[in-house]
Amino acid sequence: MTALDALTVTVEPGITGLVGANGAGKSTLVKILLGLVEPSAGEAQVMGHDVVRDRAAIRALVGYMPEHDCLAPDVSASEFVAFLARCSGLPPAACRERAAEVLRHVGLFEERYRPMGGYSTGMAQRVKLAQALVHDPRILILDEPTNGLDPAGRDEMLALIVRTGREFGISVLVSSHLLGELERICDGVVLIESGRLIRAERLGALTGETGTLVVEIDGDAASFCSALLAAGLTVRAEHARILVDLRDAANTEALQQIHDCVRDVAVAADVGVLRLVRSRSSLEDLFAGAVV
Amino acid sequence: MTMPADATIHDIGYRRYEGARLGARGAWIALWWQGVRAMFGLGRPAKAKLVPVFVVVVTLLPCLALLAASSASGGQLPIRYGTLLDGRLILFVLFAAAQVPEVLSRDQQHRILPLILTRDVTRLQYASARLAAVCTAMLFVALSPLLLLYVGEIGVATDPAAAFREMGHTLGALLLHGTLTAWVIGSLGAALASFTSRRAYATASIIGTFLVAAAIATGLDDLAGVSVRAAELLDPIRALRTMGYVLFEETTRGMELNPPPSLWVYSALLTGIGAAAAVGLVLRIRRMSV
Repeated sequence: MTALDALTVTVEPGITGLVGANGAGKSTLVKILLGLVEPSAGEAQVMGHDVVRDRAAIRALVGYMPEHDCLAPDVSASEFVAFLARCSGLPPAACRERAAEVLRHVGLFEERYRPMGGYSTGMAQRVKLAQALVHDPRILILDEPTNGLDPAGRDEMLALIVRTGREFGISVLVSSHLLGELERICDGVVLIESGRLIRAERLGALTGETGTLVVEIDGDAASFCSALLAAGLTVRAEHARILVDLRDAANTEALQQIHDCVRDVAVAADVGVLRLVRSRSSLEDLFAGAVV
Repeated sequence: MTMPADATIHDIGYRRYEGARLGARGAWIALWWQGVRAMFGLGRPAKAKLVPVFVVVVTLLPCLALLAASSASGGQLPIRYGTLLDGRLILFVLFAAAQVPEVLSRDQQHRILPLILTRDVTRLQYASARLAAVCTAMLFVALSPLLLLYVGEIGVATDPAAAFREMGHTLGALLLHGTLTAWVIGSLGAALASFTSRRAYATASIIGTFLVAAAIATGLDDLAGVSVRAAELLDPIRALRTMGYVLFEETTRGMELNPPPSLWVYSALLTGIGAAAAVGLVLRIRRMSV
């Protein structure tokens, strides 16, 4: 079975989303970057270090938050995080201090002395993020960090990721199958499907203005639509909205003419224009387009 | 705790770590020490300490009783270490069966292994640190009561210096036997426990393996007519037991009828069994998918 196939991608610093449906190969890509799985062919580099040959160099640079549960129920969060800090080679005293610090950073206070078996999903996710941060990595790899969280918990986790990524200069690679949330926090996005790369772009480029003008009117959409067609525009009606194709418009002047034309037709037909706006594609549209 | 009314908790945010990093060595020591603590249930709820405390108490009590008897007789009553060891080897197996899964199955059960293996720890380092932890704890349990007894015996003697001259060589025998016991039972236990993430299965497989070995050895001896000395080489516990008698120069009726092979045979055999198990453990950890 091939989980990843002919996938070539470069991830820039900043917060990057790794998007794909379940089974698209997100976790496999993450595990290859972490050196947990050896690629059967091809190569990968993390900050210039080869994942197979320079594994030791990568380990101090990377913090990993897995998708699955990974907490021991019978120890406390502070003990657990301090132990993992020691596994990253930090001296014992520094481990306790760092553990307390990162747990406070993710919002765990007195609870951190209680056994983790009694934690809520939200608290468990925070501990998982804290352990990924405890050795002060340069890159955080978060596999589905919002999995299982309620909307409020989701927002808090995303805010935490943004803070960590933006304020402290740690690059973040965050995987998710939920596009909406990535749209809110990412600088760039890598879209994969069945182990193949679909797109990898900065978010601005992906969700920029599209070649469609959305017109919403107060009146009969069908007759307005035919009036626009008569005026020489390419249009189609979508429910109550009318979508005007702008792809033929080569420059701003041509765009302006189309806008004017819509206005004139509206005046002639005596309908009120409620909304006249260039549509922006969302990640959802991109994703839907990619899957089919 | 009282705080002034206007006290607030200041969020100092995330801070960089600029301090020292001990690297793989620090990580190895951490894994080893955490494993040793887990073997004794330290840092865990009281329930986890049940078996370790039981085993330590049960191994310690007879030694203290013997020491008291020896003291009362002014050191006239020689202590028979071989006989003493005979009865407690099975306790060490129980200790391993109960506690080794804490060190080797637990990380798999709760899927902590990916967190450890993405840090300054290779799979080989993980396997060796865990094996060392198990053997350290086993060595402590196997050796400490006997060492206490040994020191005590010299201490209560009317002439300690003479007593030491007389039984100085016993110390070496104690250390050798304790080390081999820890190595064989620890390695076998660690290898078996590494194959499952379920603690109950790990415990059952450890007890089961030693039971089956004992059953096969007994069967060969009783039914197949294989010599008792050859048959017991298949059973690490019986091999350790007979080796104990030989080491401390004690004999049983059976040994008079069937003289055991030399100590070298036992040492080589037991070292080999432990080494084979250790190799099995390393291979298993290498191939484990996380």
